[in-house]
Amino acid sequence: MAIVYEFVWQVLHVLLHIHRTLITWFRIRLRNWNGRLWSRALTALIVPMALSFPNQKNIVPAPGKRVDRRYRWGADGKSLEKLPDHIGLLIAEEEPRYTDIANLVVWCMAVGISYVSVYDNYGVFRRDNSRLMDEILKQQQELLDLEGSKQLCVEFLNNGTDKQDQQVLSCQSVLKVLSPDDGKLRIVQAAQQLCRAVEQRDKTSKDINVTVLDSLLRESKSTPDPDLVLKFGPVESTLGFLPWHIRLTEFISLPSHVGVSYEDLFSALQRYASCEQRLGK
Amino acid sequence: MSWIREGELNLIEKLSANILKAGPMPKHVAFIMDGNRRYARKRHVERQEGHTQGFDKLAETLRWCLNLSIHEVTVYAFSIENFKRSKDEVDGLMELAKQKFIRLLQEQENLEKHGVCIRVLGDLTLLPLDLQQHIARAVVATRTHNKCFLNVCFAYTSRHEIANAVREMAWGVEQGLIKSSDVSEALLGHCLYSSNSPNPDLLIRTSGEVRLSDFLLWQTSHSCLVFQSVLWPEYSFWNLCDAILQYQLNHRPLQKARDQHREEQALQQHEADRACVADLLQHHGNGKPLDAQRRQEALLNYTASREERVQDFLGALQHKRDSFLTDLTSQAALA
Repeated sequence: MAIVYEFVWQVLHVLLHIHRTLITWFRIRLRNWNGRLWSRALTALIVPMALSFPNQKNIVPAPGKRVDRRYRWGADGKSLEKLPDHIGLLIAEEEPRYTDIANLVVWCMAVGISYVSVYDNYGVFRRDNSRLMDEILKQQQELLDLEGSKQLCVEFLNNGTDKQDQQVLSCQSVLKVLSPDDGKLRIVQAAQQLCRAVEQRDKTSKDINVTVLDSLLRESKSTPDPDLVLKFGPVESTLGFLPWHIRLTEFISLPSHVGVSYEDLFSALQRYASCEQRLGK
Repeated sequence: MSWIREGELNLIEKLSANILKAGPMPKHVAFIMDGNRRYARKRHVERQEGHTQGFDKLAETLRWCLNLSIHEVTVYAFSIENFKRSKDEVDGLMELAKQKFIRLLQEQENLEKHGVCIRVLGDLTLLPLDLQQHIARAVVATRTHNKCFLNVCFAYTSRHEIANAVREMAWGVEQGLIKSSDVSEALLGHCLYSSNSPNPDLLIRTSGEVRLSDFLLWQTSHSCLVFQSVLWPEYSFWNLCDAILQYQLNHRPLQKARDQHREEQALQQHEADRACVADLLQHHGNGKPLDAQRRQEALLNYTASREERVQDFLGALQHKRDSFLTDLTSQAALA
C-alpha cells in the first residue's frame, strides 16, 4: 500500500512541476508576444523601419524618450497611495542576471523609492559588488539618461558612520548590497558587543532591551526597515534576509528576476499600496 | 479534549494524508492564526465570537496535524503589539485564554494519554497574575510529556524574544558562567524562548496578509513560508494539505540552504575559537611560538572547555526559567 501512495505522490509532484513550468513558459511567451505587438506598432508609427526589435528590452530610444520615461516612472510612483521607503530585492535564484537586477534598481529609484537593498543568500552580490555597480550605472545611463552616480549612493550595510549619513542625505536613493552576514551574524556581533560591555562593567544585563539592540542593528539612524521585499525565484523563504528588520515587511513573490519588466515591478508596488497594516491593533 | 478535537479523518482525507506522507513532511509547523475579526465581521457576529471560533479551529487543526504525524505546532496567539487594542478586546482575550487554560488543567488525564506538552513562549510578566499562574500550572503539569508539543506564543514578539536572549547571555556573563567571546549564533538560539524546539519547517499565515508581524523571525529564516488567503476560522484540512505540498516543493532547495548556513556557522565558530586561542597563547605564553600540534591541542582544549561552560550556563538558565514557573504555581496553590 505504501508503494501505491508513493507512486501517487511522485505523479502528483511531476504534475505540479509541469504545471509550474507551463505557467512560466506562458508568462514569457505572453510578454514576448505582447512586446512584439507593441514594438511592431511603434515601428509602424514612429521609429524608422531600419531598426528591428526582437523584444521590448532591446529598444534603445532617443534621449528624449528616456527623459519621458523617467518622468512617467516618477509620476507612476506619485500616483500610488503609498510607496515603500525601503524596498528589498531578494534574489532566491541560482544564477543572478546583473542586467535585470540593475534594471530593477534603476526602476525603483525612478519611481521614487529612497532605499533599495539587493540580497542573495550566497553573498554573491557582496563579493562581486563592483560588477553590480557597473551594471547599475550603465542601466541608469541607458534607461534614465543620468550621468555618473549623481542620483544614487551605494552603501555597504556594515560601514555606517555619521559622515555617510550626510552623504546619504544628498542622494536621491541609497543602494545597499546585503548578504546573509548582515542578518543573524550582525545580531550575534551586536550581542557580543553588549556582553563585552557587561563584562567590562559598562552596562548591566538589565540595561539590554529591544531599543538598545535595535539602535546597534540600525547601521544608520535614517535607514528605515524594509517595508516591502520582492522575492524572485521559486523558493518560498526569506533565506536569512535581515531577520531583525523584517518584522513588519510585506513579502511579494515574483516568479523570476530573469527578463523581469517594469510592469511586473509596478504591479507589485500597486499590490503593496493596497495592503493595510494594523500594527497589532 | 478541548484543545485537541477528538476524531479521525474521513476516507478521502485519510487517502490524501497517506499520499502526502509518502514525501517529506514538516516535523514542526508554525501558524499565524489571522482573520478572526474579519471573520466575525463577515458573519455579523461579535468579535469575541470570532476569537472563540478561532480557538475551536485551532483545536481542529491540531487534530489534523496529529493525523498527519506533525508532532510540534507553534501558534501566535497574542502579540505584545495586541495590547494596543481596546481594553474590552484585550480583557476578552485574556478571559478566553484563562478559560482555556483552566479547562486544559481539568483534562490532565487526556493530556497525559496523548502525551501533550504545552509550552507558552513570551514575556509572561506582562499578563495578569491569575493568567500567569494558570499558564504556569499547565506548563509544569505537562512538562514531561513528549509525544506532541504545542507552543503558544502569548505576550510575544520576536524582537523581545531576541533581546531577551541577549539579556540572558549578558546575565550569564555577569554571573561568570560564560565569557562574551562564547556568544555565538548557536548560543543565542539556545537562549530563545523556543530553545527546546527545533526551528519550524513550515510557517503558515492565514487571511491573505503577507508579513511575519514579529513572529519567530530568527527561527524561520530558512523555513518554508506559505501565505494563504483563507480566514483562520474557515481553515480547512485541504488548506493544510496545500501548505504541506508547498513545503514539499520547497524541501530540497531549503534543505540545501540550511546545510550551507550550518556549514558557514561551524566555520565561523571554528575561526572564533582559533582567534580566542591565539589571543590566550599570546597573553599567557612564554613568548616561544608553539608548533602546529600544540596549537591544535590548545584549540581542542579551548573548544571543549567553551562547550562545557556553555552547557553549565544553559543548565543554569533552564533552572532559572523552571523556578520562575514553579514559584508561580506555588503562589497559585497558596492563593
